[in-house]
Amino acid sequence: MKVFVGIDLGSTTTKAVLLDETGQIMGRGITNSRSNYEVACAVARDEAMTSARFHYLARALQELNGPAADAARAFESRLLGAFRLELYLDELAALRARITELVETAGARAPLSVREAISDILDEMEQSAPSLFLENEGRRSDFFRDLAGAAFLTAAEQISSTRGLRFEALAWPFDRAILDIETELRELDFKAVLSRAARRVGAQASGDNSLASALEKIGHQHLEEASFVGTGYGRQTLPFPKAAVRSEILCHGRGAHRLFPGTRTVLDIGGQDTKAIQVDERGVVTSFQMNDRCAAGCGRYLGYIADELSLGLHELGPLALKSCNPARINSTCTVFAGAELRERLALGEKREDILAGLHRAIMLRAMSLLARSGGVSQEFTFTGGVCKNPMACRVLKELVDENYGNQLTINIHPDSIYMGALGAALFALDDWRAGEPHLLRISQQKSSGVSEREPSACVECT
Amino acid sequence: MPTTSGQLTAGIDVGSSAVKVAIAFSDGGREGKLVFKACERIRRRNVHQLVERMFEDACAQTQISRGDFAYVASTGDADAASFATGHFYSMTTHARGALYLEPKARAALDVGALHARAIKFDDRSKVLSHRMTSQCASGSGQFVENIARYLGVPLEDAGALSVKAEGCEQVSGICAVLAETDVINMVSRGVPTGDILKGIHVSIAGRLARLLRAIKVQGAMMVTGGLALDEGLVTALRDAFKADKGDPLEVVTHPDSIYAGAIGAALLGAFRHVQLQRRGRTLGGVEINSARNASAG
Repeated sequence: MKVFVGIDLGSTTTKAVLLDETGQIMGRGITNSRSNYEVACAVARDEAMTSARFHYLARALQELNGPAADAARAFESRLLGAFRLELYLDELAALRARITELVETAGARAPLSVREAISDILDEMEQSAPSLFLENEGRRSDFFRDLAGAAFLTAAEQISSTRGLRFEALAWPFDRAILDIETELRELDFKAVLSRAARRVGAQASGDNSLASALEKIGHQHLEEASFVGTGYGRQTLPFPKAAVRSEILCHGRGAHRLFPGTRTVLDIGGQDTKAIQVDERGVVTSFQMNDRCAAGCGRYLGYIADELSLGLHELGPLALKSCNPARINSTCTVFAGAELRERLALGEKREDILAGLHRAIMLRAMSLLARSGGVSQEFTFTGGVCKNPMACRVLKELVDENYGNQLTINIHPDSIYMGALGAALFALDDWRAGEPHLLRISQQKSSGVSEREPSACVECT
Repeated sequence: MPTTSGQLTAGIDVGSSAVKVAIAFSDGGREGKLVFKACERIRRRNVHQLVERMFEDACAQTQISRGDFAYVASTGDADAASFATGHFYSMTTHARGALYLEPKARAALDVGALHARAIKFDDRSKVLSHRMTSQCASGSGQFVENIARYLGVPLEDAGALSVKAEGCEQVSGICAVLAETDVINMVSRGVPTGDILKGIHVSIAGRLARLLRAIKVQGAMMVTGGLALDEGLVTALRDAFKADKGDPLEVVTHPDSIYAGAIGAALLGAFRHVQLQRRGRTLGGVEINSARNASAG
């Protein structure tokens, strides 16, 4: 069956969306962006393909009847966890090979005691892997880098203290190896991984034919990429054919319009840029304003503040919501805001009050961008990574109510982060219908996407 | 040890990331010598307590009691040094300090953690003109500090690495925060650390050179403030002016140039003390402070 692929390569994450011929969303995938942009795209697309196949499986299982059906449905949610576990273990094996190679050639930097300790750390990671995926624990992230990084460092901390080894001596091989592992393209053999996952959760043992045949079907389901469009922060550096690239503005406008057809104004706050977009009734962009020169007003602003406070990004919003008396932040620049934060903390102001003020500051920047792009009209859609932050959403609502009246509908979708990729996939469908499809061809290359760019010559130094 | 031939004064320069204390013995702020100097980073400590403690230490080390000072001058953040006799604007103190350290200097470039300021002055350190960076940290010391942190280089080593660099890799934008992504990309591409730091120094120097050109500085210019000791930045500044036609600006430094603000405050304090005495006014801290508060209000 034909699928239409849209990829949004952001500065922090890479998103992929698959559509079918009728324009229905079939699958979504997300991964962390890395220095090799091609691999980031390939991984996001594989993730989207996987999610599409599981989507089919869920649909097939829903059609089942009889006593086996309930058991089969219970099994399905565990199967996805097992599938992820198998993928994780594959990556872990690759990581192990790379780390072993690194420490064996490191000579005096990795004496026998360190090599043994690292081997034990990796054993520990393998043993603890199933609990990461099979138990119903909320994972903070699904990205291999984050999961493996956390597991490695936890194990390394423990082993370094019990054996009296320096933590840094154990940690460096991971940092080196993860870069190589992340930028290496590995083919995903969906069928093989699925059958391993099924064996792990005991699907075959149940002897249920309908289930086995449903599994067989999704394993064999051929998903043919019919057309592709790419967008995003890295679009200039990607080896996409020129015609297969659309601007982020167009894609975000189109994606938001697709999910909320009444949309006339879109605000997208991403990691490194903020866009205010006006679209017409067909989702075509009529005007926009963008800030990508300065971190003030972007997601990175909140990231910087989170680093200053040694908090996770996801903890900022809920903490700021507790504030009763938001501070008034005077600084524009992110660095100055960080300094102001330290100063205010030293003066004894509450963390949540300062944070609330900082959230207000970033949204005020967005409001001025919106005003310059032509204001806010009915309906208003908020997209991008920052819309996952509840405080940012609340402040935006307040500011829009204050400035544009409280009659406006504000749309915030839980999958807003995929908006750009969705727009790109819609353009891919257009291209195919117009008879001009493009395909994403990813070649196994060692070089990163960035290095293909001519190194910018420094005038002062030549 | 107050004598009739001169005044003992102290200057306290409270910056955004460091506190500098200087004690000078001078002839009404004209001729004089530096008796003591100290500098400490604020980090996450309480500034008021830090200033109090540093002044206490300075008194203890030099065996001068607080009552012996003819004048204790603050500059920078006035509120942090509440015990000071009076306050001076940082523009004038940096001008005075730069002139003291280098008599031929006619301009100072104060590069602090958050702001940079170009100050033009005459041979009596009277400020003629100035220009400073405003809303953005792209020309400040914090920029270098952030990049050094991303690269895992101690801040003290950044200058030396940059000077030794063979190449130069500039970041694409001006934002000190968004530069992080560029730097990560450079590292993964295998660009040497020195080249990246050099690129940052060149980019900051370009912005600072614009400040200096805007106020038409000529002759010799002294770099003061926290980044004065960063040889990478100083080299980049020299390179930025090298190509100028006619008389290129001479960039000078001094081992004590990070204390310029505190030294200037101490000297100006002595000057003010003598002026006030000449006018026959009693020198009561209360009176001066109330005068200051009246002018501030």
